[in-house]
Amino acid sequence: MDLGLDVKERNGWAVLSVQGEVDVYTAPQFREQLIQLVDQGQRSILVDLEGVEFLDSTGLGVLVGGLKRVRSHDGDLALVCTQRRILKVLEITGLTKVFTIHDSVDAAVGGNGQG
Amino acid sequence: MDSVVELEIPARPEFVGIARMAVGALAGIRPGLPYERIDDLRIVVSEACTSAIEALGEEGNLRLRCIDGPKTLEVRIEAPGAAFESAFPPDEPGPDVDSFRISLIRALVDDAELRSSTPGHTELCLILHRDAASTDGENLPV
Repeated sequence: MDLGLDVKERNGWAVLSVQGEVDVYTAPQFREQLIQLVDQGQRSILVDLEGVEFLDSTGLGVLVGGLKRVRSHDGDLALVCTQRRILKVLEITGLTKVFTIHDSVDAAVGGNGQG
Repeated sequence: MDSVVELEIPARPEFVGIARMAVGALAGIRPGLPYERIDDLRIVVSEACTSAIEALGEEGNLRLRCIDGPKTLEVRIEAPGAAFESAFPPDEPGPDVDSFRISLIRALVDDAELRSSTPGHTELCLILHRDAASTDGENLPV
């Protein structure tokens, strides 16, 4: 089971695209990538979840950890997600109120990515 | 008639995907569970196995017994000791991964019950009730 992680810079945002299944096995790679982005000085991080096929609480923990870390440096972490199955997990855990969730990368970086 | 599938996996992270895949495949064999509900079950199985793996320190095995019946699909996960404490804690947890886990388990299966099983082991029993309308549809003329 592989996890695909790809980082691109778009309009001042670090866009981290995640592909595959995020669980207890793959979450450490995901966590490491987010820590690395913050350590590199990225303060606007967009996590694109459109390629995610599975996400459980371990993955949610990584997202919340990333958000806390970047906010401690006065930054922000937003999500791109339109998949019903992933949105459902975010809704059940109350995280739709915690994260800004965009419909697309373009919508996210176009509106807020002037930094 | 019930179909029973048993699977034993090492309590290590790399095997959780196999448990999810096996349960998801079994759940799809008999009509009556929409794809979304099978997806829900895969999440809950992942949560339960992860809880046990964390509690056991990646030692030992997890035994899964899936009972696929006409009315319900039941997944019983047995592990040594108090392996499911983060899924069924004695106290309400704070806002962390464990609380996400508990919220997901409570929301995504119809019943979840912790039982003592063989000596020194606990068993988490997860139950999905099949959609009555869909199950009835099996008997409709084509």
